[in-house]
Amino acid sequence: MIQAQSLTKHYGSKTAVDAIDFTVQPGKVTGFLGPNGAGKSTTMRMIVGLDRPSAGSVIVNGKLYHEHKAPLREVGVLLDAKAVHTGRSAYNHLRAMAATHNIPTSRVHEVINLTGLESVARKRVGGFSLGMGQRLGIAAALLGDPATLILDEPVNGLDPEGVQWVRKLTKQLAAEGRTVLLSSHLMSEMALTADHIIVLGRGRVIADASVADIIASAAQNTVRVRTPHSAALAALLAQDDVTITNVEQDVLEISGLTVTEIGDRAAAAQISLHELSAVNASLEDAYMKLTQNEVEYRTGDSSSHTEAEVAR
Amino acid sequence: MSTQTHQTTQSASRAPFVSTGSGLRFSGLLKSESIKLWSLRSTYWTFSLVVVAALGLTVAMSFALSPETAGFDPATGAAMAVDSAQMFVIVCTTGLGLGQMIVAVLGVLSISGEYSTGMIKSTLTAVPGRLAALWAKVIVVFGFTFLVGLFSVLGSFLVATPILGSQDVTASLFDVDVIMPLLGNVLFLALIAVFSVGIGTIVRSSAGGIATVLGIILLLPTVVAVFSLLVEWVADLMPFMFTVAGSEMIAPTMVESWQALLIVLAWVAVSLGVAALLLKRRDA
Repeated sequence: MIQAQSLTKHYGSKTAVDAIDFTVQPGKVTGFLGPNGAGKSTTMRMIVGLDRPSAGSVIVNGKLYHEHKAPLREVGVLLDAKAVHTGRSAYNHLRAMAATHNIPTSRVHEVINLTGLESVARKRVGGFSLGMGQRLGIAAALLGDPATLILDEPVNGLDPEGVQWVRKLTKQLAAEGRTVLLSSHLMSEMALTADHIIVLGRGRVIADASVADIIASAAQNTVRVRTPHSAALAALLAQDDVTITNVEQDVLEISGLTVTEIGDRAAAAQISLHELSAVNASLEDAYMKLTQNEVEYRTGDSSSHTEAEVAR
Repeated sequence: MSTQTHQTTQSASRAPFVSTGSGLRFSGLLKSESIKLWSLRSTYWTFSLVVVAALGLTVAMSFALSPETAGFDPATGAAMAVDSAQMFVIVCTTGLGLGQMIVAVLGVLSISGEYSTGMIKSTLTAVPGRLAALWAKVIVVFGFTFLVGLFSVLGSFLVATPILGSQDVTASLFDVDVIMPLLGNVLFLALIAVFSVGIGTIVRSSAGGIATVLGIILLLPTVVAVFSLLVEWVADLMPFMFTVAGSEMIAPTMVESWQALLIVLAWVAVSLGVAALLLKRRDA
């Protein structure tokens, strides 16, 4: 279990993490989501004591990380695949890590087999592909058979088979009663893997709920309507709690009204509809909606969506 | 969707996993640092170079020098006669002077290499107390550098014995005037490596660390010597230079041996002290 209390990190005048509180429960896969610069990696670094919090604290399994007598057995961490000396072989890297906690060499061989590194274990890490580097990082994280796993972008650079493997592995680890916290930019991946999601934006927790709740609450389910009289329909339906978006010529996306309500009111006003369908929000949509005001580095055209909104 | 919800509730009700097994131990850290040192090719290269430089210069100097000219007067720089024990010490330790530069680089790289590759993050998550990892590295670097230095001077003595013997210059290894200066040189070699670990930790960059260490070893005494020509009292600083103190503790001319040793240890202590303070304080 990971518990953060008003955890804060300043870098100079910039606030990377702004007094956040959250709890990561054991037995579940918790996803850490947020745009670049949201504070995900900084938070993960503070959990394992690489960065010192400017204020507040974060404890793992009841203690500050550095107070544990066997830190590698409490927390296995993959921060980025580059936390390895490039001149050393994967096998020797794992052996050196294992030695600190008197973890037997048999366990080193176990994690090498588990991560599928047998054929390259004796080669120097400098020549590894991004995917092999990720596998080595995951092997190192698993070395101490830890109660808590923190994986920063674990599927980054993995092939489809590897992505599936990480998905299975994290679920299995959580099912064993471990705490699993992983970050990913792939929302679809998170929807398949995570049970619970914490969304960060500009150093704050924007949402902290189960995957189903996030989808339900953040993105209201919308209705897609195709009609040649889109302006008339928009005027007809406009009211305070209804949002109408003109996504393309003759097509409206409406939230705040059900399919039945729209159909009935259009029929009453004698507006012909060519299409009327419910659109189920994906986690990706929910995430975009949650973070659209929190993105630090926005691409040029991403605001066009909001500009297209029809005036009420 | 319904199966996923089912799985979630099932796994959430499971008892939290509790970790078991061995924990951090200092002996484990020593083993880890030894594995780290000996699993890099650069370690074999640098230590081999130390031995080759030591033996090579011993052979060359044993042939080239004679006891009548081997020494030099520290005041005038003129050639000076030495006794056979001093002769052995000179031919067996000159190569270690080159070795000092090499182990300085090794000492810096042992830690700066961790910073440049990101390895330091793995090291510090395994040892979140941090200082124990530094002390383990210091002990391992000191120990192996001392062994390599010892191997070098003993090898040099064995090589020099027949060559100098042909000029009727002989000495016993166990003569205090032979063994003590030899061991003193080996000790200083190992202390330079440890001093460099400290500088590497402070600077956190290979290039910067090597430049700093070599500056302190090579450049600083020269700078002080030049300024002492302009300002007289600057000459009094000379024995306090790291490398000057290192040779003073073996062959005292300006201060007592024990005073020189204290000066050397002070340099090492300041380097490691600042390194420890910064390692503990800074974000990794």
